[in-house]
Amino acid sequence: MGNDRRVGIIGVGCSKFGIRDELTVQELAFEAVKEAIQDAGITREDIELSVAGTAGTRSYELMPAVPINEYCGFAGKGPIRVEAACATGSAAVYTAYASVKAGIADIAIAIGFEKMNEVDTPTSLAVGGRSGSYLWEFHQYGTTFPGYYAMHASAHMARYGTTDKQLALVAVKNHRNAAKNPKAQFQKEISLEKAMSSRYVAYPLRLFDCSAITDGSSAAVIASEEKIKELGLKDKAVWIEGVGYSSDTANMPKRTDYAGLKATVEASRMAYQMAGIEDPVKDLDVVALHDCFTIAEIMAYEDLGFCRKGEGGKFIENGDSDFGGKIPVNTFGGLKAKGHPLGATGVAMFYEIVKQLREEAKDLQVDLKTYKGLTHNIGGTGHFGWVFVLGV
Amino acid sequence: MSNEKFKMESRTFVLKHELPVSRVERYWKGLEEGKIYGTVCKSCGAKFSPPQADCSYCYSSDMEWVEIGGEGEIECFTQLYSFPQGFDFAEKPYIIAVARFGDFKVMGWFEGEDLPEVGQKVKAETRQDESGIWKVYFTPA
Repeated sequence: MGNDRRVGIIGVGCSKFGIRDELTVQELAFEAVKEAIQDAGITREDIELSVAGTAGTRSYELMPAVPINEYCGFAGKGPIRVEAACATGSAAVYTAYASVKAGIADIAIAIGFEKMNEVDTPTSLAVGGRSGSYLWEFHQYGTTFPGYYAMHASAHMARYGTTDKQLALVAVKNHRNAAKNPKAQFQKEISLEKAMSSRYVAYPLRLFDCSAITDGSSAAVIASEEKIKELGLKDKAVWIEGVGYSSDTANMPKRTDYAGLKATVEASRMAYQMAGIEDPVKDLDVVALHDCFTIAEIMAYEDLGFCRKGEGGKFIENGDSDFGGKIPVNTFGGLKAKGHPLGATGVAMFYEIVKQLREEAKDLQVDLKTYKGLTHNIGGTGHFGWVFVLGV
Repeated sequence: MSNEKFKMESRTFVLKHELPVSRVERYWKGLEEGKIYGTVCKSCGAKFSPPQADCSYCYSSDMEWVEIGGEGEIECFTQLYSFPQGFDFAEKPYIIAVARFGDFKVMGWFEGEDLPEVGQKVKAETRQDESGIWKVYFTPA
């Protein structure tokens, strides 16, 4: 089963995240694609297949894959449009990776993008809330995504004693990191007091427990080892060493438990096995994980196996996920403070980890020992789960 | 010259769907009678709440409708302060909870003097909300 063809990332690009209301979705995607192509040192003609990932609906362009593909000069080279809610970007990278791994294309580009600010906040909340299970949840109960993660938070806090302060510490850490990231939506630090006194969005989650509504794009150029050698880019490549995916029920009442995400556990174990990761804390230098809400980061520490179940709150409190800690997490500011433009997020995690593994992360560079990093991208509340292990 | 960016508005686009719920009619009619239904697969015994007309496990479509009731226990909850489009009728932050009733779990709106707690015992009733949609409400048992 399978083949031993190695597949690597040779170019990454990422737009500035934020409210990008001066740009159409095509212009926004172009920003990341241009950077990724230039970063790889190739031309657009080298691309054989494009994969366009967006959750969609919030932008006026309802089927944007072809418009952005044309605008970026890839007409005729795909596109394949993928959607996996907030994990869309990872599904786009996977689709490009799988095409190269299978030998169908030698060089492909994954483009993740999202314009979220063309509609008002109540509409944006409704699009998110309708994406869990419209008929059985939103229709009757008016669920929203802050609400879904807040329900998980209530269970985690009740069972393990996780505190408001521990949640807020995730926001403080990630804002501190984002302050040094020129691509971040919020390039400013926040105090613990400010985070803990902000208004409730969905109890027990406050405003600073939530990622904002962000526009952004990201792109990754993915190629086979043979193609990478042919292009003379072997020293620059970051290899995809492990891939894991899973999913869970759409309906909350059909879940067995709410204090963690099964999709994270299953996707990470699949990726760890493929990449030969035995102890993630020792074997990984840096992690980009899915902190759309502060509770999501705490649950992910546990579900990815960085600490025991229930000890995620202590993990942040001890500084274990900070620079110089056991394993630096979301050094770029996370979804929380860099921003979470749904389709772009998963691809942007590759952007950040590739920069780290190439030692190009400037003020946010971690010390590399194993030269391995991880991306963890969740759609919904574990409706989709994707984990990749990258290495050089 | 204004610093405002040049912008335009799209044409209005109304998106309202017809809900094809005939195979789970019993559930929706049940709410109007004060009852909450789940389904049990007659072939393999799998239990579904919300109900399904087909079994995801053994692929049988022979389902039995069973009433969910008695005392429930809250497993998780939230109180929403930011309302999505369609819920602008809500006059104050509303509480969504998932409660376990035996082998079934049910989502509902919680109404009580205080916020609920995980583990709190509740009873369920059904009612129309201000927008006319039937749903489940939990109150302290």
